[in-house]
Amino acid sequence: MRNLFTIAAKDTRIMVRDRAALLVMLAMPLGLIFILGSALGNVGEGDSLDAEVAIVNLDSGDTGERFVDGLTSAEEIDAVFNIHVRDDADKVRTEVERGDLTAALIIPKDLTDRITRGEPAPLEVLQDPGSAVIAGVWAAVVRAGVAQASAQIVAGHTLAEAFAAPLSAGPPSGADASNALPGASHGSPGETQELELDAVRVSELDVELEKEISMISFYAAAMSGMFLLFGGMFGAFSFVRERREQTLARMMSTPSSTAVIVGGKALGVMLIGVLQFLVLLAGTRLLFQVDWGSDVLAVVLVGFAEVLSAAGLAMALAALGKTERAIGGIAPAFIMLFAALGGAMIPAEQLPSWLLPVQVLSPVYWTVESFLELMRGGALADVLPNIGAVTAIGVVLLGFGVWRVRYE
Amino acid sequence: MSSIVEVRALTKRFDELVAVNDVSFSIEEGEVFGLLGPNGAGKTTTISMVSCLIEPTSGTIVVNGHDSAREPGALKAALGVVPQEIALYPTLTAAENLRFWGSMYGLRGDALKSAVADALELAGLADRAKERVEKYSGGMKRRINIAAGILHKPRVLLMDEPTVGIDPQSRNHILETVKDLNAAGMTVLYTSHYMEEVEYLCDRIAIMDHGVIIAEGTLNELRDVVGGMDVVAVKVAGVTSEVLERVRAIEGVEGVESVEDALEVLTRSSGSIMGRLVSTLESEGAHVTSVSVTEPNLESVFLHLTGKSLRD
Repeated sequence: MRNLFTIAAKDTRIMVRDRAALLVMLAMPLGLIFILGSALGNVGEGDSLDAEVAIVNLDSGDTGERFVDGLTSAEEIDAVFNIHVRDDADKVRTEVERGDLTAALIIPKDLTDRITRGEPAPLEVLQDPGSAVIAGVWAAVVRAGVAQASAQIVAGHTLAEAFAAPLSAGPPSGADASNALPGASHGSPGETQELELDAVRVSELDVELEKEISMISFYAAAMSGMFLLFGGMFGAFSFVRERREQTLARMMSTPSSTAVIVGGKALGVMLIGVLQFLVLLAGTRLLFQVDWGSDVLAVVLVGFAEVLSAAGLAMALAALGKTERAIGGIAPAFIMLFAALGGAMIPAEQLPSWLLPVQVLSPVYWTVESFLELMRGGALADVLPNIGAVTAIGVVLLGFGVWRVRYE
Repeated sequence: MSSIVEVRALTKRFDELVAVNDVSFSIEEGEVFGLLGPNGAGKTTTISMVSCLIEPTSGTIVVNGHDSAREPGALKAALGVVPQEIALYPTLTAAENLRFWGSMYGLRGDALKSAVADALELAGLADRAKERVEKYSGGMKRRINIAAGILHKPRVLLMDEPTVGIDPQSRNHILETVKDLNAAGMTVLYTSHYMEEVEYLCDRIAIMDHGVIIAEGTLNELRDVVGGMDVVAVKVAGVTSEVLERVRAIEGVEGVESVEDALEVLTRSSGSIMGRLVSTLESEGAHVTSVSVTEPNLESVFLHLTGKSLRD
């Protein structure tokens, strides 16, 4: 039994001296995380973004139209938001819920009438759950605009009462709205907020808001999920090389049982995978400030489960490929397929619907989903089923490998 | 003396191919037992079955009282194996390799440290213990390959062609190492297709061909197979297959082997065939530079039994 650890320690020592393996297992994922994360930007955390927002003006009078003009004509607002003026409120609501739009403002059809009658006029601000920060800025812009308009309406009412003249409320100034941003009040994620002014009330869509994940964080999760499986490829190389160079036969001629030898080889892959994962974890944290979430234990357990999958993949590949060359052809294809299905290349929800049922076969899918969940603030309990799924896939792969692998 | 290795009716089939066919032999404790035969004779398959690497189709193997089918673990613990390939990890140092293989045989702590130091000393590589094996010459790798097999001081050492592809100096070192190990009481099963090695090392020898043992005994007993025969060694250039056929046809010639620029002719009447042999060669255009008569060796035995050379 002790030889299990002897074999694992020997394999780890050999792998640590293999520069090509280290390049693939550590340098490549860190490089890709940096390149992809930088190229695709820090969604939700950047300073200047063309956030897609929409305004639906259902107001039959001219107050709504002037409000829209005020928002769309301000340069400061235009620098941050790409504003679309739309007609269909339901469609816009759906697009916000789906994440196609970051936020939206829906102006009710009786805004002018209510203001004329001196009644509260609720505006509806919708926020994408996945873009809390930008959507919050949009809500603040609307609030500032409302505050401006409200002040003018109150002034208008006062003048009307004094001079019995008709109401005249000017549109909010974009510049003023923008200047009002720093002091604007922000609603807490997930809560419905109402802001009562003299004449206009703003309510936010009551949606579950999640912590935004930057692209570099997304790719840290995705590339870690994918590249941990490359440990499996190198594990398979090691097994086949030992078979070719007769060191495996020599091990089999020692008193150690086959189970101990295979277990030692698998444990070696896992040990190397754990080291790889810890380096990726620390590397992404220190180099790219990736926030893996507050539940460190859960993050580590997810990584360990993926490492078990890598060990299973190693044995399965060693069973399928007779030579290192054959495995060098098969392994990247398997890993890329797992990665593509698992959402490590593009978000999993963007895959065609007919592919979704096979996603569950990919350990990368469960791993990346778990990492992202933990980055959004999830805890161990939220990812336990995923950890179970990755472990099950690893056990199945390991079982297949042990069943089919040749030792001679 | 008692048998420490007992092999009975050992057979191994790979589909239609019978690699080892009904092989039996026993090795006494303290003996060096040689398995001699050309490549493909079944030596490695036999040694692989003895070391429990492959399962026999039929037959029994008992080492140090342990049956391979019932107690493979105990049997393997009594064995040291030196495979034909250099079964080492090239990116580990010699000391790291030896520590690993010693651990695999259950050595730990000071016992392991001492065994590694002894093995390095035996290999003559103590001063290069911290170098990676990939930087070693072929001969040095072979020596560490042997050292890895004897770390745990096994009762029986299996050596499968341990001198293949190395320089004469390393070869001599290995042969002397085997002698020393045997002198220290280790039983050795040694396979080779080099008859000089087997003649030099082995107390008893089994000659294998096509998966069967065709002769077995001490060197003298085997020489008796060709008892009364001489080997006429002719240094000659320009020998063709036609010339060989003409020599074989000479009356009194029992066998002919061509080795580079020489012919070895097995005969019971060296005196009477010498003249005809030289005249036949000269008449066929071959140029004879010297002729000598020697005692028969294992090569002669193999030639006599199979009609072909060990090197064929």
